[in-house]
Amino acid sequence: MPDERFFEPDVETMPRARIAALQEERILELVPYVYERSALVRKKWEEARVKPSDINSLADFTERVPFITKDDIRQFRTAAQDPFGGLLCTDYADTTTVFSTSGTTGDATLYAHAWDRWHPFWAATARDLWEIGVRPGDYVLGSGFKMRGPLYHADQMVGAIPVLVNTGIGGWATALDAIRRYRPVYGQLTGLALAELDHLSRTTDMREVFSSFKGAAFAGEPLGARARAQLKSWGVEVYLWTSTGDVTGAWECGQHDGCHAWEDCVLLEAVDPAGSAQVADGELGELVATSLDNPVTPMVRFRSDDIIRMTRQPCACGRTHARFWPVGRKGDETIVAGRSFVPMDIWRALEGVPETATALFQLIRPAREIDELKVRVGYDPDTTTSVPELRERVSEAITAAVGVPPVLELLPEPELLARGRGGKLPRVVKA
Amino acid sequence: MTAASTAAAAATLPRPGPWGIGRYDVAGQPVFFEVGWDDWQRDVAWARAMLASHGVGPVKGDGPGGTGGGSPPCAEKVSGGLVIVNGMPESPWFDPFETAARELGAPYSIGEIYAFEAFRTGMYARRLPITMIFGIDRTVAEGLGDELAAVVARVPVIVARPDAVGLLTGAGARPFVVARVGPALAVECPHRSGAHLNGAEWAMAERGGELFISTAGPRAHQVREAALGLRGTLTDGPCGCGRGGQRVTISEGA
Repeated sequence: MPDERFFEPDVETMPRARIAALQEERILELVPYVYERSALVRKKWEEARVKPSDINSLADFTERVPFITKDDIRQFRTAAQDPFGGLLCTDYADTTTVFSTSGTTGDATLYAHAWDRWHPFWAATARDLWEIGVRPGDYVLGSGFKMRGPLYHADQMVGAIPVLVNTGIGGWATALDAIRRYRPVYGQLTGLALAELDHLSRTTDMREVFSSFKGAAFAGEPLGARARAQLKSWGVEVYLWTSTGDVTGAWECGQHDGCHAWEDCVLLEAVDPAGSAQVADGELGELVATSLDNPVTPMVRFRSDDIIRMTRQPCACGRTHARFWPVGRKGDETIVAGRSFVPMDIWRALEGVPETATALFQLIRPAREIDELKVRVGYDPDTTTSVPELRERVSEAITAAVGVPPVLELLPEPELLARGRGGKLPRVVKA
Repeated sequence: MTAASTAAAAATLPRPGPWGIGRYDVAGQPVFFEVGWDDWQRDVAWARAMLASHGVGPVKGDGPGGTGGGSPPCAEKVSGGLVIVNGMPESPWFDPFETAARELGAPYSIGEIYAFEAFRTGMYARRLPITMIFGIDRTVAEGLGDELAAVVARVPVIVARPDAVGLLTGAGARPFVVARVGPALAVECPHRSGAHLNGAEWAMAERGGELFISTAGPRAHQVREAALGLRGTLTDGPCGCGRGGQRVTISEGA
């Protein structure tokens, strides 16, 4: 039962030994279940010569069970003509919803659930909203996208009232009207929303608009330093959140010291990005996720390509579940003319140029190693007086950051925003 | 399990406010409106009846889906499920249809209404044995581009927004109509005699081709003769489906 501090006090603060025992119990139930039902799991395990009877502990699981990658799912989908890529463990008829990942990397993956009242993907998010301070009777601003299902279920679970207006693309002028009218305590932001709010801030007192907010969530991509400072100047406390391998969400608490993974819902591992060994707490590793509460399309040791640092140390907020800090995407590192950089380097460079300060850009990269640094950059058409002159300054900024002069494609921001998907702009594209 | 424990915690909390807040326009001005929990439950019941009349129900077919070895739910073996095309701010209108689909035993997916998200509607139609697309608008239909004809050929029942009807018809479909009319949703039944309004909740009037809406039921949102900025015609009286009451035909492009 919720108390003033936690939505589920017993679960959120359970001792590490209890978390481990709970996970082992669920894993040992999961192992025979998925081997019998998931065609992809069985294929991968047979290839690795692993049988359910080999797995008798959590340690056995993390040592012996093979990883599954997004490519594995795609290949199985193509080879077997199975839309679920071999992940479906029930009859299709027994599912209630089939949703999909954003598709930012080029090909969305289907995942399904069976549920009755509240959509399970967002169930644990109720804990995170409670942490932000959302309480029964509060108004909250609805999120921009629905592709992962009704996120407002989490709002309603904590007794809040979602204000369902357009907070996607092009809707923030009316969303600000709704904020003034209902004084919500919380809302969701994305990078695309921040670009729009940046423009509106020239004619709107954002500090007054957001004065009712206890916090705002931000997800989908990194939050640049300029955007973070801007939100702070508006008095908005930002809670970052991210996905744990498409199993569930992981949100910051009020300490803002890592995103809490709910380990009763997901078995979280950090492994050597180039190998299979577990990395120590605090070291860089690839996020590997196993669903502990989705009997329909459970992920089993799914390699997410997300690079994280993780700790299992209790948080100062009092919660005991593991936390992690997203660092980037595996494979985002790019080598051009022998020099190595990551998209965040370009991000920081663009933030320093007023007309491109929203850092809307795409690195055009057909391969990890490239001869030429091609970047598509969005600029603010309202403040840009000379595109050729802007091109020179952007080129100088990127050259200073990466060490290689770029080939620039400059587009007005609205044209670049139209290439977004699921609330975010793919930062690395092939063309 | 997490979903069960969070639901149990949620069940102990009061819900002092309405289900949610939506927004529509009257004469170009925004109107915010409450949907109460009781309103929402009645909307779900009506949506259930409307979807059922189009044949939405449990998936039909023989043993699809992964049990015992991963046989995929291919269209030759099974059929069922729907894609509901709507955006988050349209949830006051479309959530009852999502809930109704679930209650009828039909798996559903969400197709977003942005052009860059049109691929998602096409992807579901291509990968899953769905039998209905509900709510497709012109933006998504156009966004499907060359794939539109294939989607139309594959999906037997398409219930489209008025602005998409012409495009879909040109692609070979014979769509039914679903239309947002102010705070209400009007849905055509298989008898194609105009989109039914839930007469227990709403009443419409037409003057000189312009449409107006009033609340008829015990809803949180009470409105009287609100001009919708839509043009169309109204039909009253019995429909071939057995329902009575008003049916609206929105002029295409409205």
